[in-house]
Amino acid sequence: MGDRGTGLLKIAGITTLLLLLWCILIWESPLSFLTPNNLENLLRRTALYGVLGIGVAFVIISSGIDLSIGSLVCLAACLLALFLQVDYVPVGQVDVWQVRADDSTITVATEHGFQQDDKLWYYKDRRNKGLVKVVKIGETGLLNGKSVTVLTVDPPPKRDQDSKEEKPLGKISSTFDVLSYEGKKTKLDKTAPTLKHNDRILFVHESQTAREKTIDQSGADSQIILTDEDSGLNADFRAVPIRKTPYMSIPFAILSVFGIVLSLGIIHGFLITRLKMQPFVVTLCGLLIYRGLSRWLTNDQTVGFIEYQETLGKVATGRWETGIQFMPVKVDPTNDSSSWKLVWEAADGAQMFGIPYSFFIFLTIIITATIFLNLTVWGRHLQAVGRNEEAARYSGISTHRITTLAYVLCAVLTGLGGMMFAIDSNSIAPSSFGNFFELYAIAAAVLGGCSLRGGEGSILGVVVGTALMQTLYNSIVLLKIPDELEFTIIGAVILFGVAGDELTRMLAAKFRSKEV
Amino acid sequence: MPLLNVDKSNSLSEQLLEVDCLSKSFPGVRALHQVSLALKPGEVLSVIGENGAGKSTLMKILAGVQTADSGDIFIDGKKTSFDSTRAAMDHGIVLIHQELNLCDNLNVGQNIFLGREPRKFGIVNSREINQQSEEFLRRVGLSVSPKTIVGQLTIGKQQMVEIAKALSVNARVLIMDEPTSSLSSKESASLFELIESLRNQGVSIIYISHRLAEVKRLSDRVVVLRDGEYCSELVGDDITHANMVSNMVGRDVSQFYNRTIHPTGKTVLKVNKLTTPHWPKHPVSLEVKAGEIVGLAGLVGSGRTELLRSIFGIDRPLSGSLEIEGETVQIRNPKEAVDYGIALVPEDRKQHGLIIDLSVQDNIGIAGLQKHASRFGFANFKKQKSDTETMIHRLGIKTPSDRQISKFLSGGNQQKVVLGKWLSMTPKLLLLDEPTRGVDIGAKQEIYQLIEKLASESMAILFVSSELEEVIGISDRAYVMHEGQMTGELGRDELNEESIMRLATNTTEQEEAKI
Repeated sequence: MGDRGTGLLKIAGITTLLLLLWCILIWESPLSFLTPNNLENLLRRTALYGVLGIGVAFVIISSGIDLSIGSLVCLAACLLALFLQVDYVPVGQVDVWQVRADDSTITVATEHGFQQDDKLWYYKDRRNKGLVKVVKIGETGLLNGKSVTVLTVDPPPKRDQDSKEEKPLGKISSTFDVLSYEGKKTKLDKTAPTLKHNDRILFVHESQTAREKTIDQSGADSQIILTDEDSGLNADFRAVPIRKTPYMSIPFAILSVFGIVLSLGIIHGFLITRLKMQPFVVTLCGLLIYRGLSRWLTNDQTVGFIEYQETLGKVATGRWETGIQFMPVKVDPTNDSSSWKLVWEAADGAQMFGIPYSFFIFLTIIITATIFLNLTVWGRHLQAVGRNEEAARYSGISTHRITTLAYVLCAVLTGLGGMMFAIDSNSIAPSSFGNFFELYAIAAAVLGGCSLRGGEGSILGVVVGTALMQTLYNSIVLLKIPDELEFTIIGAVILFGVAGDELTRMLAAKFRSKEV
Repeated sequence: MPLLNVDKSNSLSEQLLEVDCLSKSFPGVRALHQVSLALKPGEVLSVIGENGAGKSTLMKILAGVQTADSGDIFIDGKKTSFDSTRAAMDHGIVLIHQELNLCDNLNVGQNIFLGREPRKFGIVNSREINQQSEEFLRRVGLSVSPKTIVGQLTIGKQQMVEIAKALSVNARVLIMDEPTSSLSSKESASLFELIESLRNQGVSIIYISHRLAEVKRLSDRVVVLRDGEYCSELVGDDITHANMVSNMVGRDVSQFYNRTIHPTGKTVLKVNKLTTPHWPKHPVSLEVKAGEIVGLAGLVGSGRTELLRSIFGIDRPLSGSLEIEGETVQIRNPKEAVDYGIALVPEDRKQHGLIIDLSVQDNIGIAGLQKHASRFGFANFKKQKSDTETMIHRLGIKTPSDRQISKFLSGGNQQKVVLGKWLSMTPKLLLLDEPTRGVDIGAKQEIYQLIEKLASESMAILFVSSELEEVIGISDRAYVMHEGQMTGELGRDELNEESIMRLATNTTEQEEAKI
């Protein structure tokens, strides 16, 4: 839309800058830069930051700004971690509300499935725990407004205890016979519930310490294979089956995070279009609020996805192997100043080059966003609103809706980016995760030709801008430039990039006025 | 052929300002080609021409806003060149823009001395500002305190402040670009008096206007530009309406308003006791039938624009109701108005009418994007392109291509782009707000013909105009407003300048007789 020539010129300029930087890196530090590993990293980082850049590009094109991106990345990451939190809960466990030593009774919630002569595992804390046998199932009655059943047990509890503040005293659950135990293999009584991979078994004993074991496989004939051996275990133990219970399933957790960030985007849009608040102020408040929320929700503890190494972790570290193998090596390994060459055979030390999965997500976003911005009605409306909101409104465009859409798209892409970053780093410190990401995203968009005046910018430009930012970061590491100068260098390059862009624009305008 | 109208027998020193063979081009447009003219001290020279004739470009070069590609400028016979308005000012040339350049939030004195504040120990000397300002305000005959905030003044008075500002830099040449376009007739009259008094003080004035009556009244000399070239010069008794028009257009325009009356159809728009946020105390009612051209006359600021804005859903009416083809409707935003088949060509073309940085095609297509979208919301660019071509052809839009950026078009062609945008939507009701403002006489006539044709195709048309001639010329019927109130409705037979002005100023005949 509009000045296509200038747009292409901008992308051409910044692409030249990117190629130039690559040339410098190949010239100065080929042995580190051209390794498959380094290139893969570059792709992965570009993908992660690029998603945020495209998000903020929509807002910038609508002539707004979003400062809340970094904090929203953190919030999305923390929410995903919390939604996927895993608890290990003994199967059929019920609450215990009262313990009486004299009557040797334990009062439990009515919804138990215990039978007479069942052996139960009672757990309050490290001191008050043990195996008990049900002697008699007593009357059902009310205790503090709760429906409870009194069990007479053997051996009797050591002393009287009562629950406090509506919290149960402890938990009690059924145990099952261990039919056999040998090495990693074990077999439980048939009445035991079926357990799966990653569930656990707590082996308890009247006199020995309890041990918790993770299940590797559960095969036919209720044969169970554990992940490790324990010579101290035997068939005298009883088993408490423990089931792995995530708070949400993975798809549901991801959808929930999307739902939440989408609502936040709608709120941003509402405040900006209906209450006429300035985007800067609204999203600055967002920056503060989401950071605080993240820290509060996680108790300021680092969260992660340790339980999901084999699912989400695979997506994060996974890559599609291209089949191309290479490695830069010195022609003469003994000489430090020797020239270098690329080897292509695995035998010579070449490694497989793979494209990270996250890059494919990025590609999908690039294509969708480009189509959206240029070929759909909403994309065109967005560009029109960014150029001149009043004129767009006078032309019958629902400018409020279009502006809100920009903030929603930004928030959703930030949410996606946040989850990708979260899985990638696998360790989210709520007080610092995502710090400054909004500035990286805005910088990439501006470097890629988005004007903060609105209405200008292309997705391709943002992609190249992000790639340039990440290459810069890469070169700071590889060229052994002091870390402390990182921001200075990135800042200077953006400054020169944008200044050069304005300069070419002026020259182009001058040239155009001359040519006729 | 460039004609040098400088009388070479005169000694050069007699001329205050001379322009020799100025040329300037923009992408796709040859704005000015080998134009020469001269100006004597204490002379009022009018420069007229159709839009795109090069008047604005010439003035911008003289005022240092733009630089010429070739040609020379002489002041007092000395060759000079300026590359900034500041440099032009130093030579005594000041341009007073059509859109005033004052800071609303500062007071009159601060505006007059903006950028040149007298200082005492490095601190702005307000007393000095106020004293000197009073002097300049007296010279322009404006009786306001220098401490008045400019935003509180009427447009007419703001213009006086702008002129006072020009005098404060010892302006010898004052260039006025369409100074009366937003003034009431009373304000215009006092501006004319001021121009005459300035002339007597020895200030030369270059006056640009589309209003030929004013030109005739004020000018010592008239230079006509056509298509970027010097065309002719009129002096004294030759300055007549007919002469000026034929010179500008290059043809005889005897049948300027060619109005034929068509049978009208059913009522398209009915406004019942509508109150707008600007005039909450004055309910307004009117109706427009299919095939009818209804004028909405009145002075600037009489509430006509606000009324159109409320009909089009830009401002929500406070009370009252709208009926479209007999059906009561709620219009909450312009999109709903468009859905009901209403179109508005707004007064401020550059801010509201067009997205000035976008191409002709993008501007014409913008309103129809949603309507012509395919499934999944993909825009139909083929339809957009064909619509644009149709409109360029139908309205005679002069543009090098449909990809031309709108800001490079002349005012008249920009207005046609706005009209094209709406005609591609085939509206039932067309609202026009000052449709010929800043549009040259040729394009004006084309717009009148277009309005006429649309009415004959049974479109309902409601147009706001401050030009009496225009209202009388093309309306079937007219409403007149005064300070937010509807003061009257005039049928075609009752339409004349006196009847409109009486209602527009809300004076009775007795009162008028007293004056």
